Amino acid sequence: MMEKTIGSFEFKQCVIVPKSTGQSAANLRQLRTLLTSVSDESIFHHTYQYFLSGHVLEYTNAFAHWVAESLGEKALSEHLSNIDPYSFPNIEAFRHELLKAIDLRLEALPEPRDAMVGEEFFFSEALTLIFPLHVRARNLAEFLIAIRYIDKSSIYYHFYEARMRLGGGTDDFSKWFSNSVGQESLGERLNAIDPFMHTLEGIRNHIVEAVEDEVRRAMEEITS
Amino acid sequence: MITDYAGISPKGDLLLLQKLGERLSGKSFLHINSTRLGGGVAEILQRMVPILAELGIEARWDIIEGDQRFFDITKKIHNALQGDQVQISAEMWDYHAEINKKNAERLNLEADAVLIHDPQPAPLIEFRTGGKWIWRCHIDLSNPAKDVAHFLKGYCEKYDAAIFSVAKFVMPMTINQFIILPSIDPLSEKNREVTKEEIEETAERLHIPADRTILLQVSRFDLFKDPVGVIQAYRMVKKYNDCILILAGSPATDDPEGEAVLAAVREFAADDPDIYILMLPANSDREINVLQRMATVILQKSLKEGFGLTVAEGMWKGKPVIGGAAGGIPMQIVDGLNGFLVHSVEGAAFRVRQLLNNPEMSREMGQRAKDHVRTNFLITRQIRDYLAVWYSLEQGGRTVLELWQR
Repeated sequence: MMEKTIGSFEFKQCVIVPKSTGQSAANLRQLRTLLTSVSDESIFHHTYQYFLSGHVLEYTNAFAHWVAESLGEKALSEHLSNIDPYSFPNIEAFRHELLKAIDLRLEALPEPRDAMVGEEFFFSEALTLIFPLHVRARNLAEFLIAIRYIDKSSIYYHFYEARMRLGGGTDDFSKWFSNSVGQESLGERLNAIDPFMHTLEGIRNHIVEAVEDEVRRAMEEITS
Repeated sequence: MITDYAGISPKGDLLLLQKLGERLSGKSFLHINSTRLGGGVAEILQRMVPILAELGIEARWDIIEGDQRFFDITKKIHNALQGDQVQISAEMWDYHAEINKKNAERLNLEADAVLIHDPQPAPLIEFRTGGKWIWRCHIDLSNPAKDVAHFLKGYCEKYDAAIFSVAKFVMPMTINQFIILPSIDPLSEKNREVTKEEIEETAERLHIPADRTILLQVSRFDLFKDPVGVIQAYRMVKKYNDCILILAGSPATDDPEGEAVLAAVREFAADDPDIYILMLPANSDREINVLQRMATVILQKSLKEGFGLTVAEGMWKGKPVIGGAAGGIPMQIVDGLNGFLVHSVEGAAFRVRQLLNNPEMSREMGQRAKDHVRTNFLITRQIRDYLAVWYSLEQGGRTVLELWQR
């Protein structure tokens, strides 16, 4: 079973260097105004790429993080955190949903307070570099070792960024298992892991567990 | 040399450095700042230039020269940019430009990329002959004296790009502006592992008792570093916990105010035998390293800060650091996770007591602090980012760059 391989999986990594847009918001109304006009790249950076930052807190994007930590708007933060960027066909639709959540809060009283000086929201984009890590897996066992130790930004690239790159809600790992290794059920199992619900280390653990189960099952198989 | 970082820096950083090095090999990269001694910029340049050279890049580092009047003016500009209400007259700006012109006549400014560090040499852009010019700002520009920032901006907008340490330091400008965290070198004399014998020898030479609980702040003697506030916090702690306080700093050639602040600190410390004020010679890196490793708790109670690399240095030694929530310190300390951010003397005193009374918490925070520095604040990551910005400019400003095998 484990020898049935076609193409090897090449691990890649991406790193980002933030690039300032020069625009900042000191309160929720300013954030809303700027959210209507900032580039898709900026929205992408503060939401999809937020997972790359190895966040340790409960937020799922930088907007939710900021409204909670700098404006004290916990309910809005929860609302923003609950918006799954991967459930939208494009960034424009996702942007619209973020604006809807903010509008809902702005219709209520009291008016949210301003952020302290220095705690404004600073809109950025990113310079992104993608490169191979010179680590290849030719079968499940090699993949299992690699995924345990690979840098977590490689997991971001293959599991998160891939969803935008490939479309169709899939990722590089699931695609490789399904298309190249002939492990469709494993591919489906990985594909079912909700990227939005985990940190990068959490995703690593889930992948390890799923692949380990498959390796264990394969080791038990009796073949002539 | 790059291979020396294997197992210390993240592998991805080293691979990307190699790949960018392959693409920029043979090109020249000139750094210019205003001092070879003292301060984080000079320290990192000392280490960065040989690494760039090993990557095949023709790296050079020059400094601008000036007289006392020039450095008095640049110190005032520096303070004004960090929020002090200081007037910079037209005559002072003229002198600033004139000294830069003299330096431009002396220096070889020809290079494929020129990275100008901080405001002192910013006017050199007027004498550019070619290549990509990038202005690197290491200081806190979040609340500058507006007229001073406006004047400086006149120079900055002539660059191809600017680099700031933190997003909130960015000046609204029409050029590309990148955010690159500064870094420490884990292999430098200041950060390498030291032996037990080195610790004992250094402690004896500096007359530091090895058996006492040590609170430490390492910084220039500068009002923005709040050395007096540190002494006040120490006095509050001392009522409950036996400890000594070490304030250690080195002179910097571009900081004429240092001596006056040092005198004020000595006066405030009075005759307390448990306060050790150490004015160490420049390049006392091993001493700083040993002091950080001997410390029980490290403070960096800055009121204003460029970035505060001494925080990352302390964290790299596996120590919890209590930092003022200023400048780049909140980028390094995740409050309550790998250290504490404080906003007052009382806050600093409380957190010191908390750490002294909870050694296990202190140890866990210290380990997380070291991990955080490894991922985000090592020199290999910073060089990687500089080369990435340069390569992006070479590629016409492209923002997604794929570096496959060549």
